[in-house]
Amino acid sequence: MSDSFTALSGRKVVSQTSAEELGDVAHIVIDVKRHKVASLIVGKGRKALVLDWDQVGGLGPDAVMVADESALHAPRNDHENAAADGKLELIGKRALSDIGNDLGELSDVRFDPNTGIIESLALGEREQSAESLLGAGSYAAIFLNDRA
Amino acid sequence: MRMLATGSAIRGLPVVTIDGGEDVAEVRDLIYDPQAGRVVGLTLNKRGFLAGRSREVLAAEQIHAIGQDAVMVQDEDSLVLPHDAPADVGEPPSGRDVTGDEVLTEHGTSLGKVRDVVVLLGSNGEVVGYEIDAASGGTGYIPLPTQLAVSGSTLIVPEATKDFVEKDLVGLGAAVEDFHSRLSAS
Repeated sequence: MSDSFTALSGRKVVSQTSAEELGDVAHIVIDVKRHKVASLIVGKGRKALVLDWDQVGGLGPDAVMVADESALHAPRNDHENAAADGKLELIGKRALSDIGNDLGELSDVRFDPNTGIIESLALGEREQSAESLLGAGSYAAIFLNDRA
Repeated sequence: MRMLATGSAIRGLPVVTIDGGEDVAEVRDLIYDPQAGRVVGLTLNKRGFLAGRSREVLAAEQIHAIGQDAVMVQDEDSLVLPHDAPADVGEPPSGRDVTGDEVLTEHGTSLGKVRDVVVLLGSNGEVVGYEIDAASGGTGYIPLPTQLAVSGSTLIVPEATKDFVEKDLVGLGAAVEDFHSRLSAS
């Protein structure tokens, strides 16, 4: 079963040790080169924490499980700060082709909840393969131009 | 279908990195070489809160593509200070501005005065024509031959150009190929 960024957004993060809710998923950060989910941002504003993908104990339909709260850490560099601020949020991001034409907005990203591997990206009605995503940042997500 | 844009539509476009998805600058002006008939580079403005002239320039070789909505570069290293850029980009010679130049056919008909360059979108600065204040009134668009004589104030175009004064960029896009096949036929 695949999961999607819009569905994952807002899902609660729960400690397996204490059964405490540690916060909600606010943003999802990807590793463009590896076509994978890199981390989840839990909580918003100054309290936002980073949950690296390898610290996710289980990604279920109702909750993201972690061993305990030490799985989460404060942002440690510019990239993580930008992610925590939501500047790298993909949903709603402007999409551009690599030849500089606007492709609309990214509406969702489908991924495998077991591996974090991105399956496809939706631009409105259109589906783009993960391989066609060349880069993503605060301004835009860049897709390989379909020259067909 | 060739997509075209005037220089004025390109000024102000964001310069966006393919690798990073960041808007690292915006186009201030085009550095046009009328002899070569192409844009050799771009001068830049800073984006956002730092708005204002940037010292950096972008050489055409570093441009992945000029698009309708953005100028794409691979990464931030594509933007360099003038002394690190090719000489005709870092220190462009003066007297290259074709704006206001009269367009004369080989047999001496004036088609009008140059207002702007017309760039092929998707290229890194290929200029396929000029926007002109047409001698017949209004705005016209003419295709550009690969070779043409340019002085400081006049440029000489093939006689056939007379038949290819288009009313809009769509017309020019369609005319470019016909124009070039006519030139190579004669």
